[in-house]
Amino acid sequence: MTHAVATATRLPRLPIGQRAFWLIAPALVLIGVFLVLPYLNIVVMSLREPAVGAPYGAGLTIGNYTRILGDGYFLGVLADTLLLGFTTTVICLLLGYPVAYHLARTTSRYQSLLYVLVLSPLLVGVVVRSFGWLILLSGNGVVNRALLDLGLLETGLQLINNRLGVTIALVHVFLPFMILPLIGVIQSIDPVLETAGQSLGASRLMVFWRLVLPLSWPGIQAGSILVFVLTLSAYVTPVMLGGAQMKTMSVLVVQNLIDNFQWPTGAALALILSACGLVAVAVYARLTSLLMKGVQ
Amino acid sequence: MTRLVLEGLRKTFNGVAAVHHLDLATSEGEFISLLGPSGCGKTTTLRCVAGFEYPDTGRVLLDGEEVTGQPPERRDIGMVFQNYALFPHLTVQRNLAFGLEMRRIDKVAIRRRVDAVLGMVQLSSMLDRYPRQLSGGQQQRVALARALVIEPRLLLLDEPLANLDAVLRDEMRVFIRELQKRVGITTLYVTHDQAEAMVMSDRIAVLLDGKLAQLGPPEDIYLRPRSVEVARFIGRSNLIEGTVDSAHASGIAGGTIPVRTAMGVVSARHDRPLLPGEPVHVAIRPEAIGFAGGHREQPQAAGSGAAGERVAGMDAQATTSLHECTVNRAYFLGAAVEHVVQCRGDISLVVQTAHAQRVAEGGRAAIVLGPDSAWVIPRAP
Repeated sequence: MTHAVATATRLPRLPIGQRAFWLIAPALVLIGVFLVLPYLNIVVMSLREPAVGAPYGAGLTIGNYTRILGDGYFLGVLADTLLLGFTTTVICLLLGYPVAYHLARTTSRYQSLLYVLVLSPLLVGVVVRSFGWLILLSGNGVVNRALLDLGLLETGLQLINNRLGVTIALVHVFLPFMILPLIGVIQSIDPVLETAGQSLGASRLMVFWRLVLPLSWPGIQAGSILVFVLTLSAYVTPVMLGGAQMKTMSVLVVQNLIDNFQWPTGAALALILSACGLVAVAVYARLTSLLMKGVQ
Repeated sequence: MTRLVLEGLRKTFNGVAAVHHLDLATSEGEFISLLGPSGCGKTTTLRCVAGFEYPDTGRVLLDGEEVTGQPPERRDIGMVFQNYALFPHLTVQRNLAFGLEMRRIDKVAIRRRVDAVLGMVQLSSMLDRYPRQLSGGQQQRVALARALVIEPRLLLLDEPLANLDAVLRDEMRVFIRELQKRVGITTLYVTHDQAEAMVMSDRIAVLLDGKLAQLGPPEDIYLRPRSVEVARFIGRSNLIEGTVDSAHASGIAGGTIPVRTAMGVVSARHDRPLLPGEPVHVAIRPEAIGFAGGHREQPQAAGSGAAGERVAGMDAQATTSLHECTVNRAYFLGAAVEHVVQCRGDISLVVQTAHAQRVAEGGRAAIVLGPDSAWVIPRAP
């Protein structure tokens, strides 16, 4: 294997000015200037002393981290945020998988229309979309009015300014990020495998459980990571629909940076969230790759 | 061993009939090929037997028990697919165990049966490989083993050799046939490859346009086609229109009979009673025709025999006839030479001979039709 690769890649060496890696140079510069440098800046900022009248003081300290990690309120918000990411991902998976399976297998002439419907949450800006949910879910909103007028309820439901409202709105917008990778992977599963499974005595449920689901893992993995990461970093939706009750880390970061002018604390919060997200994704990827042994 | 019976099977797709009223019954342990061009309904028939399609009308019976409406997973039928359909995320061992696990067989027994069947297909060392780590032929054998390990009542194969290269295909024909005989399982084999069907089958069912055109042993299909369509589809045939020579017509079923054609009188075999003057086709295989003399004829050495001359006396029941012709084309085929010749009555025939009998293009020659070379196919009036 390594031998084959070694011989196959033996190309004549070009002068340095003509090598292919220059093609990625513009992208590298972009990432360096607008991503890596700001990140380093945030790392440095998170290690600065808090100050009054200026973004931060001069000295270096790890006090910001120790204060946050020792503060029950911050830890509670962190746990809430991670839990929100988890529930949103699971709900997106449960709702998205059947849709993805149908879209991957359908021969309907409305297939492209169905694709547009799947993508529709992304066609509306985040603020407008959140306002839409406010109109639907608020105390005097469409949903509550309908339920009250029909006499199904005596008092309105609390649908916003809590975890439920944020979860509903986030599932709505992130569903396409789950469905699209799943469609790709399910399409690559040969339907004749399901036929073969049935001919060997497997019921439809067993065909799904033993064949289709295991072969879908790459799509489930990709979709879940996308939705989880996007949920962790979501800002507008939690701010508009979460109220005071449901605060996420991103909301807290902005609060510290803009409202409280506590740049070192905000920077440290942002980095802690990033680190937690990274660890969660790494653990998840490791676990799922064990399940995917043999797939692809 | 199981007897499969299909009764009046009919299946339409969007109003178009893929299979018209098909009747077929196998013997126990028999190997039957469904042979036909693409779109003739052979795969649809197979899918009806497997349970992936339900026929519009008709019944599928296994040992007299009707399974027509049963879902595939309850039929106990092993199937091998054209692209093998091995489960890519499972090792060879787990692929084979799948069907047994579905039957809730205990682990020890599974292991034992998997090992036994893998031994039969000579893949015992491949137990822990994934399908993508196997060659095409090996994947084929795993697919076969996976279908057999559940000890099904019936084995279905859907063009299993279509994706293999020529050398491997010849090997696998023999391998599958030997294995089938050893296991003794009743087998239905779908193919469009005549040679494959001939080599492997006990009987061949020729399907044309969703209808059973002929069912019989390979020799019957080749030597005694029942219709012009079968004669055209199986191998190559020269088909000549003619009428039964009234002087010699008889009600006897069998033997040879003279047929009057545009190129002269040809004696041909038949196995049904024929009426004097009955319109018939005469089918002659290219390799059943030879050139007179048995030596290489020069273009200038034209055959001297008169058209339709009887060589072997006047015994009309078994006659060899000579027919003058012009060789229009001669193609080199490797193992043989194929000539396109023109006979009297503007009849064009394909003649296949050994190299020694080759006649150059433009040369004149005489073809010899032996008493066994032609076969009568009654023409619909």
